[in-house]
Amino acid sequence: MATPTVTAALNGSVFTPGQQMLLTVTYSDADTQPLTVTIVITDAKGNSSAPVKTTVVIDPLTLTVTDDSGRAWSRISDNGAVAVYRSVA
Amino acid sequence: MARVTVTVRDAGGHTATATADYTIGRQPVLGGYYLSGGADPTADMAGGNFRSLTQYRSFADAYIFPGYNRPWLITLGQSGVMMNMVLELKHYGAPDGPQTFTVDGTTYTVPAPSMTIQQRPGTTWPKAYGYGQVVSGQCDGLFARALSQYRTLGFGVNIQLASEFDTDHEFGTTEAGVPYTWAQSDARAVQAVNYILTWFKARTLPGGTTFSVGIAGFNRDCFRRIHPEELMARLDFLQWNAYATNASHTALARFRRTKDWAVADLGPVGLSRPVLIAEWGVRVAEIPNQAAWIATVPPAIVQLNAEGPPWIARTNYFNSGWGTLTPKATGLAALRAAYAVPPYV
Repeated sequence: MATPTVTAALNGSVFTPGQQMLLTVTYSDADTQPLTVTIVITDAKGNSSAPVKTTVVIDPLTLTVTDDSGRAWSRISDNGAVAVYRSVA
Repeated sequence: MARVTVTVRDAGGHTATATADYTIGRQPVLGGYYLSGGADPTADMAGGNFRSLTQYRSFADAYIFPGYNRPWLITLGQSGVMMNMVLELKHYGAPDGPQTFTVDGTTYTVPAPSMTIQQRPGTTWPKAYGYGQVVSGQCDGLFARALSQYRTLGFGVNIQLASEFDTDHEFGTTEAGVPYTWAQSDARAVQAVNYILTWFKARTLPGGTTFSVGIAGFNRDCFRRIHPEELMARLDFLQWNAYATNASHTALARFRRTKDWAVADLGPVGLSRPVLIAEWGVRVAEIPNQAAWIATVPPAIVQLNAEGPPWIARTNYFNSGWGTLTPKATGLAALRAAYAVPPYV
């Protein structure tokens, strides 16, 4: 199983109080795969249900963000590869 | 300073971690200096708000930290002057040829440098340790020697790898008889820098150690090639140099030229890094009134930093070459006056 990778970048290094801070997290894992599973129920007479589809992710990643100053970071977007978090200086 | 830590974990419990540091509140930009020949700048800096210093050493030199006959560097560092140590693969400070030496009980033999750089036509091309030599481990002894000396300094420094990769590569490079174009040389340098970073970061470093790569910043394509995001994730500063060499050059324009390319071409990791101007200067031949030009630098830096990242954090005046202060007393007085006002205070 592969080890995930992650980078973190802020939209600056020095912020004035009250200024919005944006944290861009780029992450990936070679094992992470989206799958679509399609299920059809068939009875003994050969009658089949309509197919239903569901998606699952193999080896999903979980992201945690901590801040040693105690500031809270809230997630404002996450597309599975890039997540953006926001806090206020 | 605050630090935000991001951890990503997969289903099997494998994790990876990244950090980003930030500071709240306006911090002064550090005004800095370099004196020709790597000479003792203590007298020039005394009494002025000089808080940063650039120094140059070759990995070939047996005396990198603090340098040969340079005890003043320790004194300045211990007094809080932030050191930007430019460590170069360019070969100087030692006889040409292989070296054998012992570091902390281990004996290393490093071959002669096999690359030429700065291949400007009509000039003698300087030698340098080749990027191939670096990535094949032949220069590990040089890094071990530098690190062993670094650990005795007593303070952390910024290690800037190379002075100006664009100047080094502008006319191509040649290693072991094989010519490489400018772009090829940039790509090979990024590999070598990654190797050196991996080597140092795998070992215990003094607290406060940071890393950057050196570039003059006169070529946009080269600047972009030298700053891939994966590399910037391992570096702490952006770096470029700023010189006025034409009467039409304003401070704002000269400091902003490379910044504008960075903003246009680099990714969020690169742009999150503060900027260390390792060299800035005014050439007196074209701009006789150096003092007047120097006086325009503080408002230029204020404006650039107000415009957004990357944030210029240190500016080191290069009192040598193009930047030679003439007359010195007048130039130094102007530099002291500049560093006495915002953004330097």
